[in-house]
Amino acid sequence: MEETLDKFEEAIVAGDADLSVELAGVIISDARVGADDIFTHLSNAMETVGNRYETGEYFIPEMLRSAEAVERAMVVLEPYLFEKKRDKSGVVVMGTVRGDIHNIGKNIIVSALRAAGYEVHDLGVNVSTEKFIGKVRETDADLLLLSAFTTSTKPALFDIIAALEAEGLRGEVKVISGGASHSEAFAREVGVDGFATDVKSTLAVCRKLTGG
Amino acid sequence: MNSRERFLAVLAGELPDMVPIVPVVDGFFAPRVIGRANDECFLDGGCLAEALAAALEKFGYDGAVAEMGLGPEPNLLGCPIEVEGNDVPLVVETVIGGRDDLQRLVLSDPRSGGKMAPVEQLVAAVGSEHAVLGSVRSPFEYAASVRGLMDFMADFYRDPALVHDLIDAVKPATLMVARALIESGIDALVIKDSFASSSLISPDHYREFAYPAEREVIADLAEEVPVILHICRNSMPILEDMAKTGAAALEVDSLVNLAAAKKSVGGKVVLKGNIDSVAVIEKGGPADVEAAVAAAMSAAKAGGGFILSTGDSVPVSAPLENVAALTEYGRKYGRY
Repeated sequence: MEETLDKFEEAIVAGDADLSVELAGVIISDARVGADDIFTHLSNAMETVGNRYETGEYFIPEMLRSAEAVERAMVVLEPYLFEKKRDKSGVVVMGTVRGDIHNIGKNIIVSALRAAGYEVHDLGVNVSTEKFIGKVRETDADLLLLSAFTTSTKPALFDIIAALEAEGLRGEVKVISGGASHSEAFAREVGVDGFATDVKSTLAVCRKLTGG
Repeated sequence: MNSRERFLAVLAGELPDMVPIVPVVDGFFAPRVIGRANDECFLDGGCLAEALAAALEKFGYDGAVAEMGLGPEPNLLGCPIEVEGNDVPLVVETVIGGRDDLQRLVLSDPRSGGKMAPVEQLVAAVGSEHAVLGSVRSPFEYAASVRGLMDFMADFYRDPALVHDLIDAVKPATLMVARALIESGIDALVIKDSFASSSLISPDHYREFAYPAEREVIADLAEEVPVILHICRNSMPILEDMAKTGAAALEVDSLVNLAAAKKSVGGKVVLKGNIDSVAVIEKGGPADVEAAVAAAMSAAKAGGGFILSTGDSVPVSAPLENVAALTEYGRKYGRY
């Protein structure tokens, strides 16, 4: 089965969704395969994809192709993983903040987090502060990830932090911001707990903040 | 030599008295010069034209880049937009969900409803002395707008035939807007193909999807007006292809090594660039602008064929003194 898991990982990296789905079916037919094994291979695959983007071997379409392979494989894997009752890595609420409709970076990160075992609630793009707050409360989220690509979104980041404080939720959820609109220095000024720019740094900061 | 003559001389392959300066000052930054908010000027052509003319006069560079406005442009193909305050207009709904929607694509006439008024107004106000450039989106960029950038790029692998068909379907939009700009009296046409950047897609995908459409529309338009092809962020890996599109000039961003670009394609096309609009113009000070201008001149000025510019749009929050410094040091280091 280790060989099948390796092939599954390679299929995700290559963005071959059909093969990923087929291999996911093979993997869940063997009840001995542990949920941790599956998540290790899934998240290794997305880290490889992230590395290939960093080194200029992959571009946005290749990352989207792999993210789609993860999403389609997860449809097959989820019932099996649910049965295995594995503790999830954490609950994440994520969205692109108000004033911004960029969804590419967010969607790639959502897939990478799902691949790493997080329960992810994706709120989409142009998300209002109220919607973020409502979802954090409803899901008792561990992490709130704010994607902000355009520079005009900066006030929205301050708004969300202020609203979390006003609602008494700031101590309950770790907030991570990222995207082309702002720097780490700006993120510190906003008062978030973490800052990330790509798949690799997002996974690292999420693990750090959830103690994983 | 006045500003317009200086700009046109470079595009005609002649050596001007000094390097022309035409930064990408558009609907993001220009409204500030007349104390107006972006949303007013994104949707009100008269406001935009007034802002572009005022910025040109205030900073003293050689040419302005006219556009019909970031609001009306995607709207031409039926995408609803929302604008609020200084926010960039948002395309809130894309119109192409799949192949079946291709037939539903409707192009409204870019001359209707006074959409070209800002361009005509700008030409009338500054066009005798200064160059007026008009900007239009490439078919590749229009296609991404109507499909949604993420689905568009996912289609490269999912359904490449749809990508080709969609680009073909929106090609008339680029040509109609270009012709409307030409009729309004522009001196040069900027075709924007930002999503074709090697910062986003591979050079192979550029050659497969973006390049053929660039080449085709430029072949159709180049006899009527000199064309400047804009691809921001990193275009270094595709520069030689861009030079074969038939464009008279390439607008390159700060990630391009200007000296290397001059060496590889400087004999074939004019280079326009490449001051970093964020790190230098928005975040830097006048001393940073001077250093960047001096470096750009030393890389690309020799023998002509160079227009000093920012690599991309001057951001809304750029300090006014940095834009002033661009002209000041452009003149200081730009004399032949």
